[in-house]
Amino acid sequence: MKKVLFSLATVAILLLNACSMLPGGTSGKTEISMMMWGDPAELDVWNQIVDDFESANPGITVNVEVSEWDSYWTKLKTLLAANTPPDIFAIDAPYYLDYQSKGVLLNIQPYIDENPAVLDGVYPQTLTAYQTPDGYFGLPRDFQTIVVFYNKDMFDAAGLPYPSADWTYADLRATAKSLTLDSNGDGVIDQYGFATDLWDMELFWSSAIWAYGGDVLSADHTRTLVGSPEARQAWQFAYDMMFVDKSWADTTTAGQYGGDLFLAGKAAMTTIGHWSVPSYAEAGLNFDVAPMPVGPARQATSVNSAGFVIAKGSKNPDAAWKFLQFVISPAAQTRLAEMGFACPVLQSVAESPIFLKQAIDINQQVFLDSLEFAHMKPVFKGYDEWAAVIGDGMAPIWAGEDADLNATLDDIIPQADDVLTNNK
Amino acid sequence: MEFGLKPLGREKFWLWALLAPTIFGLVFSAFGALLATLALSFTRWDLFTSPVWAGLSNYFDLFTDEKFLKSLANTAKFSSLYVPGVVIISLLIAVLMNRKIKGIGLFRTMYYLPCVTSAVATALVWNMIYGKDTGILNFVLTHIGLQPVCWLCTDHAMSSVIIVNIWGAIGEGMIIFLAGLTAIPREYYEASEMDGASGLQQFFKITLPLITPSIFFQTLMSTINAFQAYDYIYMLTRRGQGDSSIPVVVFSIYRNAWHFNNYGGASAQAIELTVIVALLMIVYFWLEKKLVVYE
Repeated sequence: MKKVLFSLATVAILLLNACSMLPGGTSGKTEISMMMWGDPAELDVWNQIVDDFESANPGITVNVEVSEWDSYWTKLKTLLAANTPPDIFAIDAPYYLDYQSKGVLLNIQPYIDENPAVLDGVYPQTLTAYQTPDGYFGLPRDFQTIVVFYNKDMFDAAGLPYPSADWTYADLRATAKSLTLDSNGDGVIDQYGFATDLWDMELFWSSAIWAYGGDVLSADHTRTLVGSPEARQAWQFAYDMMFVDKSWADTTTAGQYGGDLFLAGKAAMTTIGHWSVPSYAEAGLNFDVAPMPVGPARQATSVNSAGFVIAKGSKNPDAAWKFLQFVISPAAQTRLAEMGFACPVLQSVAESPIFLKQAIDINQQVFLDSLEFAHMKPVFKGYDEWAAVIGDGMAPIWAGEDADLNATLDDIIPQADDVLTNNK
Repeated sequence: MEFGLKPLGREKFWLWALLAPTIFGLVFSAFGALLATLALSFTRWDLFTSPVWAGLSNYFDLFTDEKFLKSLANTAKFSSLYVPGVVIISLLIAVLMNRKIKGIGLFRTMYYLPCVTSAVATALVWNMIYGKDTGILNFVLTHIGLQPVCWLCTDHAMSSVIIVNIWGAIGEGMIIFLAGLTAIPREYYEASEMDGASGLQQFFKITLPLITPSIFFQTLMSTINAFQAYDYIYMLTRRGQGDSSIPVVVFSIYRNAWHFNNYGGASAQAIELTVIVALLMIVYFWLEKKLVVYE
C-alpha cells in the first residue's frame, strides 16, 4: 500500500512539473519581459506606464522587473550569457557601446526607417549617444544634466545671495568658503560649503575640466586627456577647495554621513542630477538649483541619458519595439516627468508645466537650460575599467591621504591609455 | 585503518540513496563550477561572445597585473595576522570559558553571538565605532587627551579590519576549543596537581599538547576563511564600483568578472587562489604529522 501511495505521489509531482513547463500564455497573447534598475517608487511609475501601454495595445503583456543598480548589471550579464535575456532592458549610455559592440542588442534602425517621425521632438543631444554607424540599437528615455543644488536655509543664515546663472568657479570657491562653519569651535567642521563625489567623472570633474578648457578623452577615444595643463588646473581647483580652504569635505569625512553630505544637511552645496530631487525633498531640505559655474574657458556641464534596448534574441521584437516607441510618446513621457526623477527626452513635455511646475517647487528650467552648454558624458568601449583606473587612482587623494596630485595623474594616465588600447 | 561498520545487503541501497543528493550537489555544483572555472581560466571571455582559447596567457598576465599583485599582498598580510589572532585569542577565551562560574552560558553566548549575526549589520555598527569625527572610539580617545585616529584610512584600515574579522571569528574557534578541552581527561589535571604543578605549567604541559588536534583544525579553517574574507572588508572599506581601500584577492576576482568583463582573468585569479590554499594545506598536513599529538 505504501508503495502505491509513493508512486502516486511521484506521478503527481511529475505531472505538476510538466504543467508548469508548458508555455504560460494562451494563444493570441504576447508576453514581453522588461528589466531595469530603480527603487520601489520608480517601479510604481513604470507599472503605471505599462498599464497605459497594455490598455493601448490589447494582446501584449509587459512583465517589469526592477533591481537596484549594482545587482541589476550582474543579473543582466548572467541572463545575457545564459541566452535568456529579457526582451527589453534599461541601459546607461556610457555602457551602451560595450553591449552594442558584443552583438547582444537588436538593431532597431529598420523600425525607425519605417516611421522616421518617431524621433521627432526628442532632444537631439540625448539621441547622439545611441547613434552608431549601423544605426540605432536603443533609444533614450530620460536625461540628466548636472546642476548645482544649494541649501537655501544655509545661504539665508549666512546672509549670502543665491548662486546666479552666470556665476564663476571663483564665486563657487568663495561662496563655499564663507559657508564652511565650525559653529561650536571644537576644531571639527560642522557645516561644509561644498561636497560632491569625485570618483566618477559625471558629478564634477568632467564639467570642471571642460570649463577650464580641457577635455576628458581624445575624440577618437584613444587617448586620456585628464593630464593636460588645463585639466590639471581643474583638478587643482578641487584639491585647493578640499585641502587649502577645507570647504569641501573629503571622502573619509563624507563616508561617516553615508556619503552624501548635502542629503545629511552637512553641506551647503553639491553638484548632482535630477534623480536626487525626491530624496532631498523627502529629507526635508529647503533647496533650489543653479547652473554649473562658468570656468576660465567656458560654462560646461555633463549630460547623460538612460535608455532602453531590445535584446537580439528577443522572440517578440515587434511588441518590444512598440513598447520602446510608447516610452518616448507624450503619454509615457508625461508620467516620467511627474515621477520627478529625471528630465523627459521629449521636448514638448519637458517644456510644459508638467515638468516645469512640479510638486517639489524648484527651478526646473535650470536642468533644461543646462543642455545648451552640456557635454555628453563620454560613451566608449571599456568605460567601466577606464573609470576604475582614474577613480581608484585618485581615491587616496580625495580620501585626504598623503598623495601628490600631479604625480598620481602622471602615474595613472598611461594605465588609463592601456585600457583604451585593449578595448579598441 | 577501518572506520565504523560495513553496510550489509539492503543497507547498501539506502546508503547510496541517502548519499545521492549530496553527491549530486557536489558533482554538479561544486566540482562542476570548479572545472568550469579551470576551463575558463585558459580563455578570453567577455560573457557575451564565445570564449576564445588563450592558453596560459591569463596566468602570465597575473605576474604583471599590479592590481592583482597588490590584492595578493593584502590577502597575505591579512591572513598572516588574522589566522594566529583567531587561533590564540579563541583558545585563551575557551580556556577561560571552560570552568564552572555563574552565568557561563551567558558569556559563551555573548562570544558566539557575532557568528550568528549578519556581517553586514555588525559592520555598520563597527563603522560607527571607527568613524573619524563621529566614532565612539575617537570620542573616547579625545576625552582622555589623545589624538583622534583615522581608523579606516589606508594606513590603519588593515589593522582595523583584521580586528573586526577576528572578533567575528572568536565564537566559532571558542566552540571548537571547548569541545577539545572537555575531551581532556580530568585525571591528568588531578594527577599533576598532586605533583604540585602550577596552573601555567598545567596549561603548557597538559592542555596545549592535548589540544593540538583542535589547534590544527582551527588553523586550517581560519586559513581557508582568511583567503575568502570579503563581507566585513567590503562593508568597512568599500569605495566606488567595487573597489576597496584594501582590496583583497576576492575583490580583484569579483571586479575583473563583473565590472571589467574579464571572466578569463578572474577565473585564473580564482584558480591561483585555490592553488595557494591547497599548497598551504599540504604544508599544514605535513606539520600535523610532526606536531599534532593524538592520544
